[in-house]
Amino acid sequence: MRMSHRAFAALAGLLLTGLAASGAARAAAGDDVAEREARWKDLRQSLFGDRAVETAKPLVRMDLPDRANDAALVPLTMTMTDKDRIKGLYLVIDDNPAPLAAHFTFGPAADPEELKLRIRVNTYSNIHAVAETQDGALIQTTQFVKASGGCSAPMGMTDDEAMKGMGDMRLKFAAPASGATDSGKPIAATLMIRHPNFTGLQMNQVSREYTPARYINRISVTYGTQNVFVMEGDISISANPVINFALRPAGKGPVTVVTQDNQGGRWERSFDVPAASH
Amino acid sequence: MCRPPVTDALRRRAGLVLVATLLGAAAPADSPVAVPEPAGYWDGALQGYTPKTLAGATVIDAEALEALIGAGNTLLIDVSESDPTPRDLAPGRLWRPIHRAIPDSIWLPGAGSGTLSAQDAAALAERIETLTQGDRTRPVVTYCHPDCWGSWNLGKRLVTLGYRSVHWFPAGIEGWQEKHDTGAIRPDAAWTRALKTGGGP
Repeated sequence: MRMSHRAFAALAGLLLTGLAASGAARAAAGDDVAEREARWKDLRQSLFGDRAVETAKPLVRMDLPDRANDAALVPLTMTMTDKDRIKGLYLVIDDNPAPLAAHFTFGPAADPEELKLRIRVNTYSNIHAVAETQDGALIQTTQFVKASGGCSAPMGMTDDEAMKGMGDMRLKFAAPASGATDSGKPIAATLMIRHPNFTGLQMNQVSREYTPARYINRISVTYGTQNVFVMEGDISISANPVINFALRPAGKGPVTVVTQDNQGGRWERSFDVPAASH
Repeated sequence: MCRPPVTDALRRRAGLVLVATLLGAAAPADSPVAVPEPAGYWDGALQGYTPKTLAGATVIDAEALEALIGAGNTLLIDVSESDPTPRDLAPGRLWRPIHRAIPDSIWLPGAGSGTLSAQDAAALAERIETLTQGDRTRPVVTYCHPDCWGSWNLGKRLVTLGYRSVHWFPAGIEGWQEKHDTGAIRPDAAWTRALKTGGGP
């Protein structure tokens, strides 16, 4: 009886020591988690006021590398489940100085199942994608990304070189798979825009002064008379943006892209949609 | 948070990838070139390859830093630059810079300058004196980002001021966050005030 008591005491001691140790480790991690959560709460209130942002049953899945090779060019894929419920999408990189990276509003010509773009990440950060549904609900998805220095990384060329051809746009449509005659299929498209998207945090290597911020703040894409999407953007979108999206196939007319930046730049170009092979 | 400039922009882009790779080892950023210690403070671009050594100080990796922090009483000084504030912020634009560093650090932006005015250098010496409570034997760690001369300069300044337990952590914030939590910090108010009255570095 005594022995078992002592054994019990020893065992309890071991357990307590273990608990204390793991508890300490958790407390440290918990501080970080709590701090990041507080940051998000603050951003959430700035963006959405008192509107509830749900966490259950997220509508967006984010795929991005856990550890990005180039923090100024982090590829992000957002996959929307239940896409017909989604009216818009907010992309927030919590710890970037301008946290709201993009706000997409989808129009009737959009097939918002998948959206790909490349982002700048300034420091290890949570990324939040908040879907806004047709009935006005906000539903968030969270993903942590390890990348650092993306907003201040210079472009590796002079500012003039970086601005050469600014506003040039290309729109590539995915070639329909041979034999794929299903005209109901969405049309995948890749939009490429030449623009340095200067963050204002990049230092000119020669003058040692910061290059003034010059970033795309609005891209609108229409298919004939119908909206595909409008993206309000900021400095967290990588230089020379590339956006992959999809169109509903029922549209008529050309696809027109209008890009605007914060310095008054405006560029417009129309593209013909290849005829569906049906 | 915002990195100081590089001497060579192309190298910087390659450097990002290089640094990301090196950080896996959590070792002081290895330079592909041997950089000698300058005679005085480094007064060139603050971002660039740094020496492997700092005379009079100990160069440490993340593991050694962890041990120093565990021992307690260690003063951590971050000399990262702060982000420039946009000149004209569009109305309604969300602008919320945050600086994440090693928890419980003192953030002294500008303190890594190699060309501090005599007045600012004196203010810095006084601030460190206060922070260490005049104890020249107190362990002090200087850091910023990888390839950052600022923390090297401050380490050298502390050695010159007679501090006897100076540690330079060249892997910086990126080297620390590989395996450890960071915390959001604000610039040290007393130092910011001193810089304002002194006219800045």
